[in-house]
Amino acid sequence: MAESSASPAPAGRSGRRRPRTTRSAAQRREGETDALGRRSVELSGYYQGKIETVPKVPVRSLADFALWYTPGVAAVSRAIQADPDLSFDLTGRWNTVAIVTDGSRVLGLGDIGPRAALPVMEGKALLFKCLGGVDALPIPIQVSSPDQFIATVEALSPAFGGINLEDIASPKCFGILEELAKRLPIPVWHDDQLGTAAATVAGLLNALELTRRSMSGIRTVLLGAGAANLVTARLLLALGHDPHSLTLVDQRGILHAERDDVDELMLRNPWKYRFALRTNGGGRTGDLAAALKEADVLLAASTPNPDTIRPEHIRSMAPGPIVFALANPVPEIWPDVARSAGAAVVATGRSDFPNQVNNSLVFPAVFRGILDARARSIPDEVVLVAARELARGAARKGLSPHHLLPTMQESAVFPEVAAAVGDAAVRLGIAGKRRTHDEFLERATTLMGRPARLVRALARAHLTPPMPRGGPRDRRTR
Amino acid sequence: MTASNETNPHAPSPPSENPSVPIHLRPAREADIPALVPLLLRLKRLNEEFDPLLKVRDDAGEQGRAVLRSNLADPKGLVLAAEGVGADKDKVVGFVRAIVRERPFYVPEFEGVILDIYLLPLYRRRGVGEYLLREVSAALKGKGAGVVTAEFPAQNEIASRFYAKRGFRPITAIHARSL
Repeated sequence: MAESSASPAPAGRSGRRRPRTTRSAAQRREGETDALGRRSVELSGYYQGKIETVPKVPVRSLADFALWYTPGVAAVSRAIQADPDLSFDLTGRWNTVAIVTDGSRVLGLGDIGPRAALPVMEGKALLFKCLGGVDALPIPIQVSSPDQFIATVEALSPAFGGINLEDIASPKCFGILEELAKRLPIPVWHDDQLGTAAATVAGLLNALELTRRSMSGIRTVLLGAGAANLVTARLLLALGHDPHSLTLVDQRGILHAERDDVDELMLRNPWKYRFALRTNGGGRTGDLAAALKEADVLLAASTPNPDTIRPEHIRSMAPGPIVFALANPVPEIWPDVARSAGAAVVATGRSDFPNQVNNSLVFPAVFRGILDARARSIPDEVVLVAARELARGAARKGLSPHHLLPTMQESAVFPEVAAAVGDAAVRLGIAGKRRTHDEFLERATTLMGRPARLVRALARAHLTPPMPRGGPRDRRTR
Repeated sequence: MTASNETNPHAPSPPSENPSVPIHLRPAREADIPALVPLLLRLKRLNEEFDPLLKVRDDAGEQGRAVLRSNLADPKGLVLAAEGVGADKDKVVGFVRAIVRERPFYVPEFEGVILDIYLLPLYRRRGVGEYLLREVSAALKGKGAGVVTAEFPAQNEIASRFYAKRGFRPITAIHARSL
């Protein structure tokens, strides 16, 4: 959830030592991350890939191949040639998504290229399957320009029911998504923009409810102006946030219409430029501290560094502020530090703290609903429906400062989100398949539940080898 | 453009008021130079984005002051300052810098060259640029120019489109390579 393009201006160092507990906690967490990394490398060597293709039709004997392949299959091809829409009914296209990346901004690792991005895309495909019941193919591509990226994805699109763009650097990710959404007859999603923004908005809606604030009355600071926050800003405005009360801050400080780099932004990042012109009414200038005075909400999606947001920053905000520190793996301020400085509600991107703002809460359900509705696109209205439904899902279990969003364990919420997305697609007239709410819900429940049964069955049948014990001496060969 | 200046025939006439654009345009004065230089530098830095051969010099600020002073003193020079309205009243939010050049081999004999036009972002896309172009063209005509030209980086498509839409076409090309 971190955005490399959006590190804030360095916070002023007070010279005071950080509390000892924070430091040791940070060190402990760093140690855990290292251990997970070592184990991940070990297991990757053992399993040599996280997904494989598995037949979904009976193959009783070689004779069946005459049905599934030539000569029988030729009639299926002819049918699709006569009616291209049948490619969604007669093949797996309806449920197949391409996870496409150029490897230009992978996790917090930066531009590591398509080969090194593959394990991440495989992991994403695993999440797509296990959480959304979606068949996703990892497709890292070697391209040298956004135009080439766009042309390549367009060329790949006949095989897919949807496109998931992943880990593409900002700002080129905006132009790529816009252009592909325009060109392709299938839905295109960029998780780092839309998934993160939807989860953020869902959490914020509940945080506003908890602190008795309304979207139209708050002053909000967004720290980091990369993929996620620029879309979050767009969604907030769509929800009625006053643009004048919205301030974006990036590594050069407050974004405003007369900032020195504004003409460069006009040429290189028109998405950010538009916010420079529209937001920050009252013409605040300066750094994060200047932006935060009297703000109700801080949504940080910048770079990992627990000193980015200082306790004094939180104290300068309006009483009982909402603070989302979403950089991964290390938030811009540790939650306990933010709370002791007065934050009423704190969210991070991590699963080991309450209120995890996590793309995985969003993309499996959005794709489930979108694919089941055979929607042509994923407009912001649909993204907002997903965010609202996610917020409602958390509220059904009871809102508290520690429960703003459903956890990944609260899986009953996800088919509900999928059904709400399907309904929205039908309502907006972008659905190729019109189903009722109950049909969407039932279908999503079945399809999203199936992979867990599959995984268990494969393990029981010893087709998936059990996980080897940890430790460098435990490495086995297959 | 009816007003003229009796005491200095070279001073630009005050441009006409246009209530539909959110600026007030007037001839620049020596006292405007501190406000004009940052805008001039913004424009030059924008040009730098288009071509490495337009890299802005470290002393561009001093140069800018000197150039503006000389333009203001030059009867062939023309600098107009655009002031904002409302909260930006009395603040210079844009400018035009132009000069009349003789064309020894061609007719019309005098060419009004628009060297710089710059507006702060909040004043763009509101018809101000068009108004500036109209006013500076009239002022250049008043100084004897029979043709108006504009210089900008070849890669600046925004400028190309702006001028093309208003009847300009490329007549001279300047090609460059480093030595």
